[in-house]
Amino acid sequence: MRRRPGISGLQSAAAARDQYRLVGENVAKIRTDLMKEQLATFRSQLEEFARKHKNDIRKNPTFRTQFHEMCAKVGVDPLASNKGFWAELLGIGDFYYELGVQIVEICLATRSHNGGLINLQELCSLLCQRRKTAREAVSEDDCLRAISKLKALGSGFEVITVGKKKLVRSVPTELNKDHNEILEVAQAQGYVMVEEIEKRLSWPSGRAIDALETLLEEGLAMIDDGHRDGKRRYWFPCVAPISAALGADGLRSSS
Amino acid sequence: MAGSIKLKGSQGLPGLQRRPLLFPPLDESKPFSRWPPANLFRETMAANWLAPVLLTASGRPVFLPNEVERCLISAVDLDAEENPALPTLRSGLLVLTSHRILWIDESSTSGRAIPLAAVVHAFPPKKSLRSMFASPRIRIQVSVSPDGRVGEKGTRSEMVTIVMRGKNDPDVFYGRLLEVLRSRTWEASEGSEGRERGSGSGEGEGSARVRMPVVGVSGILRKEQEMWESTDKSLQEAFHDLNALMSKAKEMVQLAEKMRQKLLLGSSAQGSANDDELGSKQEMQDWLLSVGIVSPVTKESAGALYHQQLSRQLADFVKLPLEKAGGLIALIDIYCLFNRARGTELISPEDLLQACALWEKFDVPVMLRKFDSGVMVIQNKAHSDDEVFARITSLAQKPDALRMGISPSDAALTLGIAPALAKEHMLTAESKGLLCRDVSPDGFRFYINLFKEIDPSDIYSIKITGLLDAWVSAVSISGQT
Repeated sequence: MRRRPGISGLQSAAAARDQYRLVGENVAKIRTDLMKEQLATFRSQLEEFARKHKNDIRKNPTFRTQFHEMCAKVGVDPLASNKGFWAELLGIGDFYYELGVQIVEICLATRSHNGGLINLQELCSLLCQRRKTAREAVSEDDCLRAISKLKALGSGFEVITVGKKKLVRSVPTELNKDHNEILEVAQAQGYVMVEEIEKRLSWPSGRAIDALETLLEEGLAMIDDGHRDGKRRYWFPCVAPISAALGADGLRSSS
Repeated sequence: MAGSIKLKGSQGLPGLQRRPLLFPPLDESKPFSRWPPANLFRETMAANWLAPVLLTASGRPVFLPNEVERCLISAVDLDAEENPALPTLRSGLLVLTSHRILWIDESSTSGRAIPLAAVVHAFPPKKSLRSMFASPRIRIQVSVSPDGRVGEKGTRSEMVTIVMRGKNDPDVFYGRLLEVLRSRTWEASEGSEGRERGSGSGEGEGSARVRMPVVGVSGILRKEQEMWESTDKSLQEAFHDLNALMSKAKEMVQLAEKMRQKLLLGSSAQGSANDDELGSKQEMQDWLLSVGIVSPVTKESAGALYHQQLSRQLADFVKLPLEKAGGLIALIDIYCLFNRARGTELISPEDLLQACALWEKFDVPVMLRKFDSGVMVIQNKAHSDDEVFARITSLAQKPDALRMGISPSDAALTLGIAPALAKEHMLTAESKGLLCRDVSPDGFRFYINLFKEIDPSDIYSIKITGLLDAWVSAVSISGQT
């Protein structure tokens, strides 16, 4: 294009650049859309192959590695058995083991978010998302069965019932660092309240209550329900001796 | 006829000459008769014959990229019958992989390898009346370089005999050996690298010469279109059926990688807030959480040695997650991570337990620990009880602690572990006599055990530099007794 002198030249050059940019963005958008489409096709094909030819893939070790590499890069879960009739009746077969691995994986991924405590319904829905192409959906009963199969590995996974909800705890007490955080908060006044914990550490309510209850069972916390505002306080004598805190608090509550 | 059935070494078989002894028996009466040390000489000879194999800390061989294990047999000798100067490697573990034949000695501390590229021919195990009573032998012809090393481009060839002294089926092994020799996987990886390099440069030159003049924007658009069409076509061909996918597997892997890169770049550049996209991007990143195991131990490949080899592979795998988790990780978490790394070759929880139980027999740096509440964890031996006790006792000897003692929560906050675990450690320390407990309305507190410092015959004597002295001075400062 000929360069024209003066302001009109600059303006037309700017207009041309704009047009090029628009075309470029358009092309990029089309390219990404096409790419996504191809990726989706790739994924669905891989999933079908994983399901149909599972045994054949396992027999050939070299190809097996390449297949897994493909699945890993594209984001396809190669564990995709169907629940057979005998599997459901007798609880044997690959289906429940695979489900177990997927459940533990979801718990590991969400652990930093919810402290190792996850609602059973949420777990099931995340699981269904992962197993999109499986013929049958996964029911809560299937999840419970898969979890019970993991019992052989120690009592790390438990299902606890809080009112009507069922929660799955994936972090055993011995490895739970939540308690340390509560103790640190308690060092200030010697006691904590549930709302204080939730606000300070931004936890959902189930997590705070569960941790406090566990500390209570361990004998590290004591309950105090006698205050005028009716809210329950959890005292931690191990962190600060009661005598010291009582003096300060007694003065405060009496005035 | 009884003489012909005696079969140890080369002494019993009739018609075969006795091998001359290379090293005469040592004469203890003569001084300096041990120089040069016989073993050293033998070892150097062996080192020149076969290439060594790297082993991991748990005794598993370190594999080359894309090398997959096919068969494991125990109690195998490797013998170079025709060449008496080369010593026999006795009673080791033989591992057949897609790239090499590995021989690992019984204690799993060292190993030797024969690259499959050097194998010229493999003879089937002989089936005769005599061989029914002998250990099955498979003889392979390998190419040897002039200085005696077994290698790919050798000038002459020698026979190496694989003697299977255990209860193994030689036909199965022979079948696998032929399969592996036929598929020539080692060539594929070397060849493709050469081909890639070669074709890359060739293509560059070719395209510079033959390419149509790419004019402006339409040229770019045309190129995009061509690329999309060719990818589409190769996708269709590849997924036609399983065999097609197998033959095009490498191409598909590269395609998958390209797609992943482009998509990750694309979505981060656009900054899309679309839930679905974010979800899929998250998925793709989550998958690369664990390092995949290219050659998992399976019942098919390892047979009777399954649990032993699984145990060793697990010990190797566990190191990285252990470090990330700070020295202690729950068994269930490892179950998930290990199975994910193995892909579709899942192991059952019982297999995992058995593999961990076998660790006691081998010298591996990790151990399984069971708590009273039933929780099982894997921990580093280095991170073991002794180290934790040392830290607790040093914590208990600080002046504040000498006065007021330490509670489980103090220990938990200092050591960075959960209070329940800290409490358990302190109770164990108490049972070993390192700490004393004090039960008060404030709860449990632990003090350092001073009773050991007190001499029963002279109760009031206090050593000037002892612990008792430190305690007395700490206590008297605060005014308490």
